[in-house]
Amino acid sequence: MNGTRGSAERHSLRGAIDRPALLAIRDVFNDEEPLAAATLDDFLNPTALEVRFEDGLCDADSCRLDIQWTVQGDYKFHYTDTLNVNLRWGKHPHGGDYIHVTGLEHYHPPPDASSDPNDVEDSCIQQSPDLLVARAVLKLWRTAYHADTLKPLNLGRNPP
Amino acid sequence: MTDSAAPGKFDDVNEAVGEEWEAETTPYERVREVISREYTPRSAETVAADARTSPKTARKHLTALAEEGFVATSTGDHGGTYYRRSPESIVMEQATDILSHVSVDELVNRISAMRETISEFQTEYGVESPEELMVEHTNQTLSDASDNADGIDPDALQEWQTTRRNLAFANAALSIANAERFVGGDSSGPEENTSAP
Repeated sequence: MNGTRGSAERHSLRGAIDRPALLAIRDVFNDEEPLAAATLDDFLNPTALEVRFEDGLCDADSCRLDIQWTVQGDYKFHYTDTLNVNLRWGKHPHGGDYIHVTGLEHYHPPPDASSDPNDVEDSCIQQSPDLLVARAVLKLWRTAYHADTLKPLNLGRNPP
Repeated sequence: MTDSAAPGKFDDVNEAVGEEWEAETTPYERVREVISREYTPRSAETVAADARTSPKTARKHLTALAEEGFVATSTGDHGGTYYRRSPESIVMEQATDILSHVSVDELVNRISAMRETISEFQTEYGVESPEELMVEHTNQTLSDASDNADGIDPDALQEWQTTRRNLAFANAALSIANAERFVGGDSSGPEENTSAP
């Protein structure tokens, strides 16, 4: 599995990583998702929250989300799995590089979480509070998990 | 059953998670949650929108939270009240969390390592703080005719900012642990009734 640095992205999040936000997001995954176990990469000086899932999307045996959240509300939720599929929801300034993205929220699509300006899409996640972004990511993950396809991850809806 | 629940039908993930949150919580809980990690001053209207309640209700709860020290208030340019999480309150919260999971010995070791990290940044960049580094970088970029003045490594800057913030939480935790040794519920002897976890 690759981790957040797996696919080159030259934009960075603004401000310090927010330990209190990582704790709040950790509790969402640990309380709501039986397949997930979330821990800080370093309890005292965390730079990321790691959420390990006992199962992966589609044919992957397991997967992981690496999550960063800053004091300015910028974030990255990076998915990576045992089949080396990567994708990422993000919110941070991109200097207009992502020509198809209207705001700060965007989506680096699978299979390689591409940062090519032509590939990066608007994110279906438009909530701001950390708890709601975490819940949205979990809901999208679950939808994709049960549908056995990655498509719902940035569709933002679950048709009957 | 330890399987992941299949989500029901939803048309918009943002609205779906918002509605679920609303159904599980009271307006007070949502206002408290939203403001708890809001570090820049926000109007009651902005907090209300995120907390899915009315500005009037948000203002009522924010005022109560300010009275108990959870929230800090300030006055905006046009006389309105702005709210953010009180720094004192978040420091206490983080220190308490740290003390319930980390031994004093480990805390002492880690604090010294984080101080070391920060002093390495100061030496490497020749400035005292991340803010100075950013100012210096801006000045450099302005005075440099060529456009290769790209001295700041954003990862290093963020690591510096993050370590400094987490060091502050850890220092607060250690101060509390030290203070508790001498200010206790029972009046028994000094040094040895440390009940550090």
